[in-house]
Amino acid sequence: MRNENIINSIDVEYVYPSHFEKVDGTKALKGVSLDIKKGQFVVVIGRNGSGKSTYARLLNALLLPSKGVIYINGIDTKEENNLWEIRKTCGMVFQNPDNQIIGTTVEEDTAFGPENLGVEPSEIRRRVDASLDAVGMSEYKLHAPHLLSGGQKQRVSIAGILAMKPECLILDEATAMLDPGGRKEVLEVVHRLNREEKLTVIHITHHMEEARLADRVVVIDAGRIVLDGKPKEVFSNVEGIKAMGLDVPQVTELFYELRKAGLKLPEDVVDIDEAVAVFRRLYYGGANVNKD
Amino acid sequence: MTKDITIGQYIPGNSFVHRADPRTKILLVILYMAVTFMAFSYTAFLMLALFTIVAVIASDIPLGYTIKGLKPVLFIVLFTAAVNLFTVSGTPVFELWFLKITREGIELSIKMALRLTLLIMGASLLTYTTTPIALTDGIEKLLKPTERLGVPVHEIAMMMAIALRFIPTILEETEKIIKAQSSRGADFDTGNIMQKAKSFIPVLVPLFISAFRRADDLATAMEARCYRGSKGRTRMKQLKFTAADIVVSSVMLIFSAILLIVEFM
Repeated sequence: MRNENIINSIDVEYVYPSHFEKVDGTKALKGVSLDIKKGQFVVVIGRNGSGKSTYARLLNALLLPSKGVIYINGIDTKEENNLWEIRKTCGMVFQNPDNQIIGTTVEEDTAFGPENLGVEPSEIRRRVDASLDAVGMSEYKLHAPHLLSGGQKQRVSIAGILAMKPECLILDEATAMLDPGGRKEVLEVVHRLNREEKLTVIHITHHMEEARLADRVVVIDAGRIVLDGKPKEVFSNVEGIKAMGLDVPQVTELFYELRKAGLKLPEDVVDIDEAVAVFRRLYYGGANVNKD
Repeated sequence: MTKDITIGQYIPGNSFVHRADPRTKILLVILYMAVTFMAFSYTAFLMLALFTIVAVIASDIPLGYTIKGLKPVLFIVLFTAAVNLFTVSGTPVFELWFLKITREGIELSIKMALRLTLLIMGASLLTYTTTPIALTDGIEKLLKPTERLGVPVHEIAMMMAIALRFIPTILEETEKIIKAQSSRGADFDTGNIMQKAKSFIPVLVPLFISAFRRADDLATAMEARCYRGSKGRTRMKQLKFTAADIVVSSVMLIFSAILLIVEFM
């Protein structure tokens, strides 16, 4: 079973240390058990302060669980000897595009990870070229990072992670500070990497439209996993999601409102094409489904 | 305001000087400085000036650009010249109350101004032709032997590289904050120096807070990318001595030798 799952977390709790001795710290996670299969595209949603970013940092061993265990490829994240192996396996892209680029040029930055791992110079060169190619930033390789757009900066950050040859890519609200165009750029790259390179992706986001394209959606609220399943399954629970202060994809919302108005429509529609098909069926009375 | 400063900027090119190893260039600049301080006769200064101009042209750097780069240091040059002009004793040529200008003073102040000008032109050639990152790499390599004495060479170089990376980002942010504060009625242009300095506090406070936040984020990002100091770290770009280094250093060495022979023989 371990071979199939890249991440096994068992009853994980995390308490942020308090600044005052006698006061207990904030409990950000209250028993999270989550297994993630290799090659899966998982979207984690939850409102601010729900504990989703804390969970991401635990996967990368930037934080260690206060209780419970996390195994990355069967390695306990608490084992200090394996720290670099874990960080190499689970690469992480952060929210602010400006604050995670270390190099003065794009290619210098991409090289930073493999340089830290002590990879041979010629191999670093190969990896840098391949990674920048994979995110479509090859032509910018000698550019200074501050001259790039937000979406381009995030793609450079992804390339920097790819150059370490990770098995899992964690995006910690990496699209939160981007405009719609930049968000699209980044997501296209990530979906392609997931499809073609079989890279496991854990994408933490506030945008429900991004969630509907995932293999699996995990909803975290107040430090616990409350919903977990395919986008269709999760978003069919419109009221439950709204009660947590979250939104559902626009199409699902539309269907929900129409249902409330008395129309008989399915609950699990998240995709626009699917919605169009449903309406068509409704309009042509089922007989001419394929008619344009 | 910041766009006028040309000194210390890199100008891309493919000249011999550009292609030379940063270590070679740093060492040669040190030699150049030493030679400039050993020049005393007008012949030597003429030779130095010609050599510097030829070097600038050979490096594919527009001569006007280097001269413009002298502007920010013009005051220092003039001040040094003035100090020399009035303080050197010798044969007086002009006397007014307590001001006394001597022939030796005139000569020395001209030479001092020349020396400083040439020094800055020559030294800025290093930064014009070397990328900041290559410069830091060069400094790191050159200082490597001092590591045994406990000098944190890698850390110093990393700090310099990160500072260089964040200068444009923080400048951008400064401009943004100035605009934000101006739009709320902050006034940066009127008043005396004290008032002007005071009016910058509402810019500096948010700037510092955000700089610390950036530093924190950056440290996390570096850790997430397996940064653990110099231990076991390799570099993608290896510094290598090439034919360009031989050309550049032999030209400089031959010139220095000739100059010293002319000066001291």
